[in-house]
Amino acid sequence: MTRTRLPQLGLVLVLLLAICAVGLIQVVAETTGAATPQLLDLFRRTPTAAGLRAYETDLEQNSWCGNRIRVATQLAAFVTFRDLGAKALIGRDGWLFYRPGLEYVLEPCDGLAEAAAAIVAFRDALAERGIKLLVVPAPEKPSIYPERLGLFAQGLKKPMATHTTRLIETLRNNGVECTDLFSTFAGASGKPLYLVQDTHWAPGGMRLAAETVARRLAELGWVSPGQAVYDLKPVNLLRQGDIVEMVQNPAIAERFEPEPIVCEQVIDAEQTPYKDAAESPVLVLGDSFLRIYERDEPGAAGFVAHLARELRMPLASIINDGGGSTLVRQELYRKPELLKGKRVVVWEFAERDIRFGVEGWQRVPLPE
Amino acid sequence: MVFTSQIFLFYFLPLVLGIYYALPKSSEWRNFFLLGASYIFYGWWNPWFVLLMLFATAVNYTGGWMISRAPHGSARRKWALAGSVAVSLGTLGFFKYFMFFESNLNTVLSWVDGPTLAVLQVTLPVGISFYIFQSMTYAIDIYRGDAPPARSFADFACFVSLFPQLVAGPIVRYNTIAAQLVQRDHTLERFSSGSALFILGCAKKILLANVVGGIADSAFESEAPGVIDAWFGVAAYAFQIYFDFSAYSDMAIGLGRMLGFEFLRNFDSPYRSASITEFWRRWHISLSTFLRDYLYIPLGGNRRGERRTYINLAIVMLLGGLWHGANWTFVAWGGYHGALLAFERWRGKRGIVNFLPRPAQIASTFVLILFSWVLFRSPGLVDAGRYFGAMFGLNGGGAIAPLLAAELYSPGHLVLMGLCAALAFQPVQAYDLANEVTWPKTVALASLFAATVAAMFTQSFNPFLYFQF
Repeated sequence: MTRTRLPQLGLVLVLLLAICAVGLIQVVAETTGAATPQLLDLFRRTPTAAGLRAYETDLEQNSWCGNRIRVATQLAAFVTFRDLGAKALIGRDGWLFYRPGLEYVLEPCDGLAEAAAAIVAFRDALAERGIKLLVVPAPEKPSIYPERLGLFAQGLKKPMATHTTRLIETLRNNGVECTDLFSTFAGASGKPLYLVQDTHWAPGGMRLAAETVARRLAELGWVSPGQAVYDLKPVNLLRQGDIVEMVQNPAIAERFEPEPIVCEQVIDAEQTPYKDAAESPVLVLGDSFLRIYERDEPGAAGFVAHLARELRMPLASIINDGGGSTLVRQELYRKPELLKGKRVVVWEFAERDIRFGVEGWQRVPLPE
Repeated sequence: MVFTSQIFLFYFLPLVLGIYYALPKSSEWRNFFLLGASYIFYGWWNPWFVLLMLFATAVNYTGGWMISRAPHGSARRKWALAGSVAVSLGTLGFFKYFMFFESNLNTVLSWVDGPTLAVLQVTLPVGISFYIFQSMTYAIDIYRGDAPPARSFADFACFVSLFPQLVAGPIVRYNTIAAQLVQRDHTLERFSSGSALFILGCAKKILLANVVGGIADSAFESEAPGVIDAWFGVAAYAFQIYFDFSAYSDMAIGLGRMLGFEFLRNFDSPYRSASITEFWRRWHISLSTFLRDYLYIPLGGNRRGERRTYINLAIVMLLGGLWHGANWTFVAWGGYHGALLAFERWRGKRGIVNFLPRPAQIASTFVLILFSWVLFRSPGLVDAGRYFGAMFGLNGGGAIAPLLAAELYSPGHLVLMGLCAALAFQPVQAYDLANEVTWPKTVALASLFAATVAAMFTQSFNPFLYFQF
């Protein structure tokens, strides 16, 4: 073997070893775990384009080596470049941003007309039954705290003029009542209205939203205050932000301290946490902005409970994570009893759902 | 299949190499095996696409057979050539341009209040532009006497479908590979050089192209990028398309070498060009030489006077643009390059600013190329116009521009853009580096491959840009 051939042989062996090792390790890991090698699934599936895609995706997602190496590589990218991958972005002072939320603000939005049409149709269908609709788009973090994204975004005028501003204008021109939380939030001072590591609002922001909606309902004269008396009970908790969880890397998650949060749980005269009442004249529809603190820890401390406290009556609610645009109305369609005796529907959805809403903005009929 | 996917890298490639080298050394056996492997590789996108490739293969093989049987200068020979070229171009035209034609026809009809047609939805088979062009060269090369007819249908089908270069080139002409289909050498030197080139290509795609592609996407998809953001974005796209496409070519040539083939170089430091004429001698060389030999020269080239030369250049570049995709942006891209080439020819093949030092000429050529990439990247001419506006501050800058800037100029992005610029403008490219494998290179390449594979596990499906063409 000549001296020039040795490095050539070395390189060939390195390459062959690397490309053979991943598959072999996978087969060994599966057979020692008493499983049939996934590789053989190929012969059990119909060889169509979709079947082959699904096979390839499964192979990648279940890769023994891939899953282990990915964790280390993501951690290295995070430590070196503060890179959190495709879903998350690190701003200033440890603020995390959900990338689709930023994309919604930055990129053109084709779905405005479709969203407006679906909302107007929903309003009209409710009106036929004598029910009023109040629409509440929930602002994304970049709309309210653009300066937290980085040095370049300092001094930006707040709130950001997003597609949502245009949607609210369109809806108002069509006679749909909307609550503009953007101006309210932009004018607020004091503690941040959003959680640092989460896509959602902080208890302060949530409560401000509930107060704003309650005030608007009172101004419109759609709801008369009830007789229920609720009190507030402070609850401290630690929360790992959903943006940290989206990175799906425990090694990175460990580097983010859970955020201390002070919630105010809504309790009744017997000190029992707030509970919905299906027969309430007010129905609240929404997504995870309603879920947080309400159905998550500590419970009965979210938007619905605080709105109920402001209105002094229990409310009915349907909450569908990520389904503010269409899924929540489909759920209403499947639960006709929830519409009985209603006078007002409050409909919240995250503003990014105007573009990215699951199932888009379908027209969904009301239940019979 | 995509070269930089787990299924290819860790399952398909080891199996193919293992079986290929276990087979008897006869090229017939090995070609037949490569044919089967290539059909599996191509059918992985959609098994039905294999039938179309088989059809194109059969048409051109039959055309070549008829040409080789007919006497020189006979009408039968010409008809056989015309038939195979017409069927090939007809197939390409239907799958690639029919929808484009119909939707444009509808636009014209709507101007005159005429009835519009229902647009037939045609799925574009991956890599059709490449393999149709390649299979056409067979009949043409035999007609011209530049290559002998293939030994067998399997040999020819192996040439058309050869998986290393099937989907995105380089465009391999039959006469450059005919002899290798019959006899090729498998040496350690060639295999190791192919391994080096494959690793370098993989690294360029995964570590550079995919990441700067994200920067380009952010800028081009933004509603209103600022001036600097727009320039940064199009520079990112320039690096993305270069490192993506040249990576594919490097991997294709590398895989070819592992299997004993030698394909021609496809890129030669294109961004170091001091003129557009020079750029086209260095960029996608297999396409520019294909267009020169099979279109420009048959049109008369520069032999029919100055005016006709300019017209020929324009025709070649417009068709070259259209070859990339059924969109007016590609036509405009081709027209732009055609106009620049004609202008430079008028000046004696000199760059526009040839009075400046070479670095300044290279910089000005790069800027001219950036304008062309705006056309190439934009989904439509209106979007391209909007982006040009952003580059010159004509769209108001946009209130959201600082927000985009916060996303674009992350430490990782800035480091990577700097690295891309340094690599793109230096003279030694992957093709040159892979020629000689030494111990330091082996160690460096092994580390690079480890980093590339590690990064690949963090990335989602990310096909090569040229797959769409």
